[in-house]
Amino acid sequence: MTIATVLRPTSLAEAAAALADTTGSVRIVGAGTAADWAGSPEPADVVLSTTALTGVIVHNPGDMTVAVRAGTPLRELNAMLAVHGQRVASDAARVDLGATIGGLVATADAGPSALVYGCLRDLVIGATVMLADGTVARTGGHVIKNVAGYDLAKLVHGCHGTLALIAELVLRLHPLPGATSTVRLIGSLADSAEAARAVLASPLEPVACEWSNGALLVRLAGTPGALPARLATLLGSAARRLDAAEQEAAWAAHAALVAGPGSRPHVDRAVLRVGARPSRLPAVIAELTSELGATGVTAGLATGVGTVTLPADPDVVARAHQLVYGVGGSSMLRSRPPGCVAPAWGPAPSAIEVLRAVQAELDPRGRLGAGRFHPWM
Amino acid sequence: MTRIDATAQRGFDRVLGAENVISDRARLRSYECDGLTGYRVIPALVLLPRTAEQVAAAVRVCAEHGITFVARGAGTGLSGGALPVADGVVISLQRLRRVLAVDPVDRLAVLEPGVTNLEITKAAAPYGLYYAPDPSSQQVCTIGGNVAENSGGAHCLKYGFTTNHVLALEVVLADGSVVTLGGDTTEQLGPDLRGVFLGSEGTLGIATKVTVRLLRTPEAVRTLLADFPSVAAAGEVVSDIIAGGIVPAAVEMMDTLAIEAAEAAVCAGYTLGVPAALVVELDGPAQECHNQFERVKAICEAHGCTRLHIAADAEERAAIWRGRKSAFAAVGRISPDYFVQDGVVPRTRLAEVLSRIGEMGEAVGLRVANVFHAGDGNLHPLVLYDASAGETARAEKLSAEIAELCVELGGSLSGEHGIGTDKACSMPKMFSEADLELMGRVRDAFDPGGLCNPGKLLPTPRLCGERPGKYRPHPLEAAGVIERL
Ligand SMILES: Cc1cc2nc3c(=O)[nH]c(=O)nc-3n(C[C@H](O)[C@H](O)[C@H](O)COP(=O)(O)OP(=O)(O)OC[C@H]3O[C@@H](n4cnc5c(N)ncnc54)[C@H](O)[C@@H]3O)c2cc1C
Repeated sequence: MTIATVLRPTSLAEAAAALADTTGSVRIVGAGTAADWAGSPEPADVVLSTTALTGVIVHNPGDMTVAVRAGTPLRELNAMLAVHGQRVASDAARVDLGATIGGLVATADAGPSALVYGCLRDLVIGATVMLADGTVARTGGHVIKNVAGYDLAKLVHGCHGTLALIAELVLRLHPLPGATSTVRLIGSLADSAEAARAVLASPLEPVACEWSNGALLVRLAGTPGALPARLATLLGSAARRLDAAEQEAAWAAHAALVAGPGSRPHVDRAVLRVGARPSRLPAVIAELTSELGATGVTAGLATGVGTVTLPADPDVVARAHQLVYGVGGSSMLRSRPPGCVAPAWGPAPSAIEVLRAVQAELDPRGRLGAGRFHPWM
Repeated sequence: MTRIDATAQRGFDRVLGAENVISDRARLRSYECDGLTGYRVIPALVLLPRTAEQVAAAVRVCAEHGITFVARGAGTGLSGGALPVADGVVISLQRLRRVLAVDPVDRLAVLEPGVTNLEITKAAAPYGLYYAPDPSSQQVCTIGGNVAENSGGAHCLKYGFTTNHVLALEVVLADGSVVTLGGDTTEQLGPDLRGVFLGSEGTLGIATKVTVRLLRTPEAVRTLLADFPSVAAAGEVVSDIIAGGIVPAAVEMMDTLAIEAAEAAVCAGYTLGVPAALVVELDGPAQECHNQFERVKAICEAHGCTRLHIAADAEERAAIWRGRKSAFAAVGRISPDYFVQDGVVPRTRLAEVLSRIGEMGEAVGLRVANVFHAGDGNLHPLVLYDASAGETARAEKLSAEIAELCVELGGSLSGEHGIGTDKACSMPKMFSEADLELMGRVRDAFDPGGLCNPGKLLPTPRLCGERPGKYRPHPLEAAGVIERL
């Protein structure tokens, strides 16, 4: 095996040249915070790093939109936007680890507040993508509302480095919330699910509602006022409103579980992302825990999206996929130790032929991201 | 009317029952156009399936015989998306109209495609839930049509469009196979094909089942109607509200002509003769909503608001919305004919685009009424004309020029009505050849035979001539801010 050439284009033109001037297989990498997610990449001739494709192209504070190069870390982008009282409303756990905006989109990553703001797919309003032959194409635009043409930014949301290079993104922004508060209620997952149901039935409109580390965390955003008090009352006397430091610590601990133990050789654990109807999530997580020894649980009790850490054993992971799919859910392997051969994906989706056809149209020679969707395509 | 191959016709009769295959010319005529009545084509046949299986079986007959098909919901589309093809069939989804499930715990509903938008909220209401996207046509338009157009509505500023509310789709592909796109949660595995299908205007397949998210009905809703001495002043109010970190549920603007039309139709209590009126609605937890409403009132007053009417109860609120939602159809009261566009501009360019539209109208001697979603810059310029006075061509040209002006100002040809037949030839104004080529490839991946709603969305030589209009660079591109290779 020859060592891959690493290319680090600094502009759209250089990126296009990087693709057009080479012929072999290409692995696109960003900050590397999800390098060990999804299917294991096959060895590539070229590693194309987006980390020099950075910076804001244009920020329109009045329109609340920003166009940015895809290699920009979201953390940095949000720090810049904060000066204007704005942000990209994504709180995926990897943001604080330096994940690039392009990488977050390519992995369809999302955090607890997707409950209200949606996933990045809901915040991306335009994209510039580059096909394996260097062709540059745009989709969407610079306005929030736009139905002209196919929304092809969706196609690269979750593409894991296949189909096309995400070069630039245009995002819809949200105002920074006036204040954020969190109420914690210690309890089992099952009890918390019950409590979460009451919160969701109330008019309080939480922006996040997660169980982790043995407690329900409910986050509210808005002008500071009576809301947290109402929430605490609703959850009963055992519920406690966290102070600023506690709040930060609680959500950081949550994010740490989502990120998992990391891909270190001596850690024989793998992180599985799970989605199931909210009403079914607690039971399936209970099964993953009792039958397969899952730990590090986070459970989005309103979104139905959770993460668990499992033994990095192919049979265990295969069984976990089976349990989740058994309740109509879906699952994907995230971070795991090097060399772990556990299946990244569960059963292929019914639309797999369409996915293959899309790949054949966009990347007929299969240059980009080989292995990421193994064994689907 | 073109005839369909006899074996194909027998195939349709077999899978649907002959009584559900319309071939009678008089009956076919009721399917000849959608809400964009300027384009009319009589299809060879109209098919009326009752089930998803029948839709798939009918599409398989189409695939076998190379017959093109056009899906049709309620036919309220405004871009000619459901315009039939002369030698093809129309597949009406009107009989697939069951609400299959409402799940109040997981807060979702599963629907057949012919269910109307409003029926979803009606089915959810007993649980204190509702379906957020609310096109003005919601009483009749179908969820299948909403999916195809990625429809919006007044409340999409805060809550998003159809694409943000659909979790899963069952789709019959052009070869008659059935796939599911999306799933029970927003957690997504692999490229978001559901998102690609949403807004694809019936060109990638037929949605036969739609799973949507339901939201809890907000605790409080406050609505105001404010008059302003100029469109610019009203535009500044919108900017200041947004700049203040407030995300209203809706911000709508109407100009003098639109107000005149709405008042003539429904007497909703708008002030005749004012240059601009804003409808602002806030919702959410009571206190939050109340605080923000006070701030909005202050912003209105700071910009010289000449009248501030706050809806005192549900009835007054409904009246305000009746005025706004009727404005569009009501234009018929002040003009024999009209064209509507729905281009989008960045919100900060609202005042500029409106004054340019005014000048363009004046230059060709036509009036343009404006009623639009101001919060997201989505215009609805209504070009008023009189066909009997021979004004049609002039009006059509003005209308297309307005849509293209929106692109020139950094916006889009369409915010919610879609490209369809109407604006397909304008697409090269917004997208380069490579952009359109990529869209074409995606279409080919879904429908290699090109049977599914052909001639819509993408420009074709047949529709637009061999040489599509010249691509104009995006203003940021022209200014050298963004690059194109
Ligand atoms: C008075 C009026 C007000 C309106 N207000 C709004 C508004 O506020 N916001 C807005 O967004 N739109 C608005 N519209 C436009 C229109 O109502 C929407 O585009 C609506 O979604 C169309 O739904 P329909 O069922 O009538 O679809 P149709 O017009 O029948 O079809 C529209 C497109 O969808 C395709 N299609 C239909 N069903 C399916 C299916 N099951 N699977 C795949 N493709 C399908 C058709 O082929 C066609 O391309 C308005 C229209 C009118 C007449």
